[in-house]
Amino acid sequence: MRESSLDSEVKTLRIEGVSDEEVRAGLDSLGLRLTVPEARRLFELLKRNPSRVEATIFDIMWSEHCSYKSSKRLLQKYLPTEAPNVLLGPGEDAGIIELCTHEGERYSLVVAHESHNHPSQVLPFEGAATGIGGIVRDVYCMGADVVAVMDALRFGDPDGANKNKVREVASGVVSGIWQYGNALGVANLGGDVHFDSSYDENCLVNVIAIGVVKEGEIERSAVPEEAGMEDYDLVLVGKPTDASGFGGASFASDVLDSQEWGESRSAVQVPDPFLKRILAEANKRMLTLVHSRGLKIGFKDLGAGGIACATSEMVAASGLGATIDLEKVPLDDPSLSPEVIVCSETQERFALAVPSSITSQVLRIYNEEYELPFIYHGARAVVIGKVTGDGNYVLQWGGSRVCNVEARTITSGISVERRSVEAQVSETEPEFSPPQNMGSFLLEFLVSPNASSRRPVFSFYDCEVGGRTVVRPGDADAGVFAPVDGSGVGVAVAADGVPSYGKISPYWGGALAVAEAMRNVACVGATPRALSDCLNFGSPEVPEVFYQFEETLKGIGDCARAIWQKGLPGVPVPIVTGNVSFYNEGDSGRAVAPSPIVACFGLMEDYSKAVTMSLKESGSLLFLLGARLNELGGSLYFQELLNCLGKNVPRVRFDEERSAVHFVIEAIDGGIVASCHDISAGGLVLTLAEMSMASAGSLGVDVDVLAIDGPLRYDKKLFSESSGFVLEVFPSEEEKFRAAAGQHNVRPTLLGVVTGEPAFRVREGSRPLIELSLGEMRARWEKGLENSLA
Amino acid sequence: MNCEYETQRALISSGLDARIFRWNLDVSELSGFDAFILPGGFSYQDRIRAGAIAAKDAIVEEIAGLAGRGKPILGICNGAQVLVEAGLVPGLSPGQVEMALGPNRTDGRSGYLCTWVHTRVSEPHRTAFTCAVEPGEVLPLPIAHAEGRFLTLSSEVVRALREEGMAPFLYCKPDGVVSDEYPWNPNGSLSSAAAVSSRSGNVMAMMPHPERAAWLSQVPDRIEGPWGRAKREAKGNLLRMKEAGPGRKIFDSLKRFLS
Repeated sequence: MRESSLDSEVKTLRIEGVSDEEVRAGLDSLGLRLTVPEARRLFELLKRNPSRVEATIFDIMWSEHCSYKSSKRLLQKYLPTEAPNVLLGPGEDAGIIELCTHEGERYSLVVAHESHNHPSQVLPFEGAATGIGGIVRDVYCMGADVVAVMDALRFGDPDGANKNKVREVASGVVSGIWQYGNALGVANLGGDVHFDSSYDENCLVNVIAIGVVKEGEIERSAVPEEAGMEDYDLVLVGKPTDASGFGGASFASDVLDSQEWGESRSAVQVPDPFLKRILAEANKRMLTLVHSRGLKIGFKDLGAGGIACATSEMVAASGLGATIDLEKVPLDDPSLSPEVIVCSETQERFALAVPSSITSQVLRIYNEEYELPFIYHGARAVVIGKVTGDGNYVLQWGGSRVCNVEARTITSGISVERRSVEAQVSETEPEFSPPQNMGSFLLEFLVSPNASSRRPVFSFYDCEVGGRTVVRPGDADAGVFAPVDGSGVGVAVAADGVPSYGKISPYWGGALAVAEAMRNVACVGATPRALSDCLNFGSPEVPEVFYQFEETLKGIGDCARAIWQKGLPGVPVPIVTGNVSFYNEGDSGRAVAPSPIVACFGLMEDYSKAVTMSLKESGSLLFLLGARLNELGGSLYFQELLNCLGKNVPRVRFDEERSAVHFVIEAIDGGIVASCHDISAGGLVLTLAEMSMASAGSLGVDVDVLAIDGPLRYDKKLFSESSGFVLEVFPSEEEKFRAAAGQHNVRPTLLGVVTGEPAFRVREGSRPLIELSLGEMRARWEKGLENSLA
Repeated sequence: MNCEYETQRALISSGLDARIFRWNLDVSELSGFDAFILPGGFSYQDRIRAGAIAAKDAIVEEIAGLAGRGKPILGICNGAQVLVEAGLVPGLSPGQVEMALGPNRTDGRSGYLCTWVHTRVSEPHRTAFTCAVEPGEVLPLPIAHAEGRFLTLSSEVVRALREEGMAPFLYCKPDGVVSDEYPWNPNGSLSSAAAVSSRSGNVMAMMPHPERAAWLSQVPDRIEGPWGRAKREAKGNLLRMKEAGPGRKIFDSLKRFLS
């Protein structure tokens, strides 16, 4: 890069000509987590000692959280990100795919997915709330209206050694999600919740946001190239800057240490959904002005790294620079240092680059029409600087230049090679007899944290606000909403990832997360069109963890390619956005289970065809798709009955899985399926039980496991987690159903029938295995999760 | 605020012309409207109690004056909380706050709850927002609130709710039998009241969200009774899905009342 100077009175961090120990001491005195080699690399780039402000900026921009320094190479190597329906792949705040054309207007779907793990462990309520706050900003700043969010939550063992803390975290997180999300007025379509002891000291809170925007009105984060020639102002909008969230990105890039929690708390931001809602309305008004003038702007949310990260990325993306006067930034506390101002992660802020011809109108919208300063003390929109053509990123403070670096140098990041060593898994398959009384075992099983109904959590989420919801969380494997007024198009979303699979095989853990997310979307009748992933792992500096990470990516990539987009042979379901979260481990140094969490976004032309999982009519036939194999490794059955993991983790048989997924979509589209539910954690028996318990009327099931081919013992047939589906088909549609299955090379097994009495009957030939009243099952199943949260 | 757009869509679907009135516009413009809806959501961060601060807002003061002149006013969820805090319902003693909406508390569950409930309208002719409902009709509607339990210290209010039909919507079982038990009464509300109106019936505060049930597509297919059946039977028929849902009747009533 070019050499660019600082003003002489600016304090610098001394790197040149001092020992490694002295460099480390200097970094520590500023609270920076840069390594000594990284500091020396910074010196080489700048050809001088960095100012304190510059060192702080690079500390954040070179953190794992912002730079993907360990992961970028592998993400590019393994994950398919391109397909004809992708309008914007990974790289910006959110990914965008084609949605539909309605009344001559092309609409697109904007999706974002990230983690908020460490903040949620330290301050569960604020951490989880800010998770939603951050992810919706990522979607808003693409010019979109946010229409839905989802949460994938992973908590520790609610009955284990750390149970008090686990329950406190779980309750706080759920509370933060509903109190923030509901106030914001965005429907929450559920997501999923898993408990596993590997999260005892480090919960996972992944958030997904979905928005809709007309294709012609997509805004980009990058400042338009016109800004090199014309006058463009940089405008900061929202809450006054405070010290909250300072160092948040670096905080997310280090191991949690409970001794430091007091200090870490300041790295958790403070959210305000009420202000956010007004900001969202004012943004809409601002965008209307911009579109009516045919102008181009840059629009970016302020997340990790605050003003520095947002503004440098905006200008660097177009090869431009900026001059920013930090004294123009509205402050909550006038004593803040320039390092804090420039990198604080204060919530509810956006950065805009607008042509100076409309600056005064833009300011008027925020400050007068929507009265930000009246709504929230100190909130407003102000001009903080200008876009410049020379490519340099200059920050002024107290009359001096405290930062003067080429913008591209700040954003081009660094990469590190990590060592990878195969993690040995010593699990074996258990020898055991089935429970004496299957019925009473099932009643216990239904109360367990991972098998029980998710409704005690989901009923805290407002899944109705906006009025677009068609299928609600818990009523089917995926949530469905109608995103465009007047159009029949439906969007289905689901998020998955079972931690126990990844413990046995990270490769299959990754592949299974993709397959299950796709199955869930197919179960309502939607076609998977895009994926997002959030990869939650321990420290990448541990070779075994890095091995797990790489294996997981291979599994995700292979599955996304193999189960290609229906109707487009060979075209993968693209991964359009996501994030990597490393350093998920607690005091004990034990990393969380390899935890890929994959969300799938499916489209259906006609949402009126969507099916739910609840049984519909007495006399219907119940069909099983997918062989029951000896794949109980990581199963809930082994965990609940034997407290062991086992070895035979389910595998995705890619060709069969694709045929089954595509057949289910087609059958539902053809109107020959009354209800549908996939088989995953808990196996066939939990799938059947959930279909029965979800139905409101007095319907039940009577099924025979002898109908299932193969040598497996009856209990293993019931609890095997080999992938599959159960479908309810009216007898009048049986012929059509079987013919369609034949065309897809899928062999359905007729398991039994839906009965007209509320009883759950499972037989092996004439021998009854389970005979329970659905009322009793439902009462236990619906209460289970409450026991784990209290 | 929060539910203004879907409430506007629902009003338009009933043939009404609906505008969203931003909080900081000139309140004198309000007198040009024929009816008012205070939509659901949140106001002033729900500080003190939900709706308590908004009830003192200039807009609400203006609307209170218009209520006195007989204009119909409906408060939904947070809007209902505002009307109660402003003393507009039940309004037995003008200017007095006679009720409160307390935190949900039942034997089955406490705290915020988002779910569908069944409500029964016994005497539709009494209010501007029920006059198009059949007597005794059961309407499934969604709720989403933490503070929806109608409470009062006044025995006069209790009497008015029970004897004068000033609780136009009552929580009930799917067959229409009014019940005080969870989950039928989801929040422990007094007399199973899902809504409370003024004596003259032009002002009503309701906790369920009719705008989230204005189309059949919005109704869950597992709901018991005729509406759930209608939803199941409409599967695959987009035109039927776009027909009216149970909540539409509230807006249809207003349309009938105004014309």
